[in-house]
Amino acid sequence: MLEQVREALHQSTIRVITKLASLLPGTVALIIAVALSAVLGAILAFLLRRLLRAVDFDERLAHAVSPVWTQWSPSQSPTLLVTRVVFWALILIGFLIGIAAFDATLTSQLVLSIFTYLPNVVAAVLVLLMGTLIARFIARSVLIGAVNMNLQYARVLSLGVKWLVLVLTVAMALEHLSIGGGIVQLAFGILFGGIVLALALAVGLGSKELVSRSLEREKTTAETEEPFRHL
Amino acid sequence: MPELDAIPTEARQRLEEIGSADLIIGILNTAHDHEIGTVVKTVGEVLRELSQNLRAVVVHSPSDEAPERHDAARESESVHVVPWPLLAPNTSLTQAGSVSDGYRSIFALGESLGARGYGVIASSLETVTSQWIWRLVEPVLNMDFDLVAPCYARQKLEGLLNNSILRPLMRALYGRRIRNPLGPDFGFSAKLLRRLLYLDSGLPNRLGSPVLFASEAACGGFQVCQAHIGERHPPQIDLMNLSSILADVLGPVFLDVERNAPFWQKVRGSHAVRAFGEPIASAQEDGSVDVRRLVESFQLGSRNLQEVWGVVLPPATLFEVRKLARLAPDEFHMPDELWVRIIYDFALGHRLRTISRDHLLRAITPLYLGWTASYALEVERSTPDMVEYRLEQLCDAYEAGKTYLLSRWRWPDRFNP
Repeated sequence: MLEQVREALHQSTIRVITKLASLLPGTVALIIAVALSAVLGAILAFLLRRLLRAVDFDERLAHAVSPVWTQWSPSQSPTLLVTRVVFWALILIGFLIGIAAFDATLTSQLVLSIFTYLPNVVAAVLVLLMGTLIARFIARSVLIGAVNMNLQYARVLSLGVKWLVLVLTVAMALEHLSIGGGIVQLAFGILFGGIVLALALAVGLGSKELVSRSLEREKTTAETEEPFRHL
Repeated sequence: MPELDAIPTEARQRLEEIGSADLIIGILNTAHDHEIGTVVKTVGEVLRELSQNLRAVVVHSPSDEAPERHDAARESESVHVVPWPLLAPNTSLTQAGSVSDGYRSIFALGESLGARGYGVIASSLETVTSQWIWRLVEPVLNMDFDLVAPCYARQKLEGLLNNSILRPLMRALYGRRIRNPLGPDFGFSAKLLRRLLYLDSGLPNRLGSPVLFASEAACGGFQVCQAHIGERHPPQIDLMNLSSILADVLGPVFLDVERNAPFWQKVRGSHAVRAFGEPIASAQEDGSVDVRRLVESFQLGSRNLQEVWGVVLPPATLFEVRKLARLAPDEFHMPDELWVRIIYDFALGHRLRTISRDHLLRAITPLYLGWTASYALEVERSTPDMVEYRLEQLCDAYEAGKTYLLSRWRWPDRFNP
């Protein structure tokens, strides 16, 4: 009996060790692939950074397109954004090569699902970028317009509009990524409704002051005509 | 070039009847029948004063109240009338595209009649006298001047946009001391108008803003003079609409600054242009001015628009603006040097497109109101001579600050004090 137990333990230990031993080359291959891709990525990123700085990429981009790129970039530098994207893309490729060392079927399935999902990611990133761009533009328009109309709550109004657009954008991006499902829609509805209500209250309460001030102004203007002629 | 096909059939028939004319008087504002009768009489007097056998055509936008009609009784042998909708109803004279169409129509008509000179009246017809028209067209017809800019008898708080930005900026950049580059009433030679329209063909709305006439004449080496024509009643603008007016006026000016950079970078100093007529004194209103509203607008802008101004203004200027916002309304004073740097920086920001151009132009409004408050406090008890001296000082500050503009224009990233 004891002999049989010992034999069973021996067999299972051998099986586990054999299994581990069979995984070891794949693991080492994975580590080497990731390490090599990291080194290659670092070299490429370094060269790319030198090249982009030499051609004043940040300044050119700032002049050519909207500052939204700057906002999304680490340390507000599009050059760093590009180099980091290249670096991490190479590490991802290295990781996929390393995984292939374990099991070709698994890798092909993984790659297939990644590539099926990729259009969603691209669409979500585009939606985020466009949404940020639009949110910033509208927020700035509202801020400048409200200040020129002498509204004391100009900044609140501008921030409200900005977050309204951003919340809508994030909800759309998550929808593209198929993350959250019903929860996202529910959360979006609550947040959107909340912001609209807050804005309505802010404008409603603020407009009391606005109306009284404009009536006051009308009265004052009727009594004393404005002496300034701008044209 | 203007298209003659654009002339309405009725107007074309009138032109065929008239045959030819030496002078075109264009009335940009909508005119009532009785006002046109007065203008025709006035133009007749002007032609007699010019002592030549000249023929003139008055082209005007008929009012909607009365239908267009050809009334031979109000015409004379030398003055004819052509009703022609030059501007869309309720068009502001700062709306570049619409005004451009008006000038184009006047020029199309003048070309078809072989006119030598043009007088364009954009002010209210109530103030127009024979002296106005005579002084605007006489230098063109008799002395070969190409552009006659107007000099109005003004209250000290009138023409603020012109006095604060247009007049000193044009003088510093193009070297000609023209008091009212914005006009809006001008005398033109056919030669200058032809050049303006020829250049216009490649660039939409190029002719649009009257402020461009002076710069184009300066860059093209045309003969420019100015004429003291009398009082004008400028329209009252609500502060709510001020940002749109500023954007309409300053947009074309900054575009022009960008386009003419190779020219103005070579210009040093400025010189007076010949002026006709005697300056006419306007009865000045005395007394203190309430600037609280203007200062409050400036302070509100300073609290909220730092992010926008920070994109355009260098840190040192932004710091001074913040300091200024802490002053009480009665102590409020914006130094000329600061105001000049602000305008030059906005012109540069417009060129670099650091933010949307519409945002940039509208964001200048609180700063402009700050300058207006400071200026109003300074001149509230000044005589007309003192006001003129004060404006000369501002013009000198613009000229002195031109080196700053040149440095920032050439090296916007390196020179950022």
